[in-house]
Amino acid sequence: MFDLKASYDMFLGILGLLPKTLLLAVTILILSTLLGIVIAIIQQYKIPVLIQLIGLFKLFLRGTPMVVFLYLMYYALPAMGQLIISLLGINYNMNNMSPVIILIVTVSLTLSAFQSEIIRGAFLAVDYGQIEAAHSLGYSFYQTFTRIIVPQAFVHAVPDFANSFTVAIKATSLGFLITVIDIFAKAKIMAAQNFRFVEAFLMVALIYWGAGILITKIADRYENDVRIK
Amino acid sequence: MEMSTLELLLEFLKVLPINIIIIILSAALGLLFAILLTFLRIKKIPVISQMADLYVSFARSVPGLILLFIAYFGIPKILSLMGFNSVDVSPMHAAIISMGFYHSGYISEVFRPAYLSVDKSQHEAADSLGYTPTKKFFRIILPQVIPVALPGYGNGLVYLIHDTSLIFAIGVIDIMGVAELFISRSYGTNQVFIYFVIALMFSAMCFTADFLIKKLEKKTSFR
Repeated sequence: MFDLKASYDMFLGILGLLPKTLLLAVTILILSTLLGIVIAIIQQYKIPVLIQLIGLFKLFLRGTPMVVFLYLMYYALPAMGQLIISLLGINYNMNNMSPVIILIVTVSLTLSAFQSEIIRGAFLAVDYGQIEAAHSLGYSFYQTFTRIIVPQAFVHAVPDFANSFTVAIKATSLGFLITVIDIFAKAKIMAAQNFRFVEAFLMVALIYWGAGILITKIADRYENDVRIK
Repeated sequence: MEMSTLELLLEFLKVLPINIIIIILSAALGLLFAILLTFLRIKKIPVISQMADLYVSFARSVPGLILLFIAYFGIPKILSLMGFNSVDVSPMHAAIISMGFYHSGYISEVFRPAYLSVDKSQHEAADSLGYTPTKKFFRIILPQVIPVALPGYGNGLVYLIHDTSLIFAIGVIDIMGVAELFISRSYGTNQVFIYFVIALMFSAMCFTADFLIKKLEKKTSFR
């Protein structure tokens, strides 16, 4: 019924793709954080037009599943890229854009909305007294920001960042719909060879579960070590 | 075969009930199971409550897509182990079960903190007034839990609606499934438009859920 040997082989086979998925998730996390910072700045300084656009984008994300967004990007992004490139006068065919790039762009955009909220919350959580103390000690604005505010805000943001990271890992499983070979797609391919679908998907679930637990543990440990008691 | 926009919309509306049924049934299943899970985790019954904890961590860290496939391929196997051979498990049943369980993991993690947020003195006051445990729960605790839990529950519901967009992957012909059929039939001419329409339909469902939860929030808040 349940073949342990086949499961073990599959586990190893699928595990080989974990680094790729993690790398994908790290890329997504970095990009979405950068974008999140930009969004947070726009919201903080209430830059007209841009803030309305972001509001609209957030409304869109609230209502639209990531798969639908992914398919929209899959079909629209190459055409959009082609348009921009032709306007710039570069001769390059965007239609052979790699699906990995589309996956990264889509998930990063989706996550950036969450990241911006996390970043905003983390900065607001820094006590104003800290800033005043820094000023009274003669720190310049730049010094206050990099030496006082950012380290404290970062500690506040770590648990949420870990959460975003797991969301990113989970989101990469959608990649198989647009032909990206990740953990899940690999499992499907391996399962199709000997029809052991249940084993394959259970092994995938196990790997995702393990990764999720590990990330939470690391984040907890880091937070405990760094948090000022 | 060329299809007009109107025909396309009509086709979508024809299969929309399938999505709505799956959302409602898996939300109901998820709610029931989440209540059970929360109860088990709060009561701290040895072994069982650890298993519930383990289950919640599993449901929260595994992508919905994979649970969907595990249910679709695993349920027939479990059934045949139990002696029911050649039972037809339709993709729709698998979708409802896996989405329900996935949802329950998320909202159980909303309910538990909401329950714990009720002040201990409330329990003590009810006990000292001679309330029975059932009466205490329904008259004192639950009315205080609901307003705390509702916003999180609303989020869970929206995520559930988002996740039901994946069910076409196991072969349910819902709006995403129909979209795939359209695209292959029209040789991939208006995919962007089709997915834009789907985005609007999902948005409509999500905002309806949001609206209903907001209404309920207003009704249940005691301030």
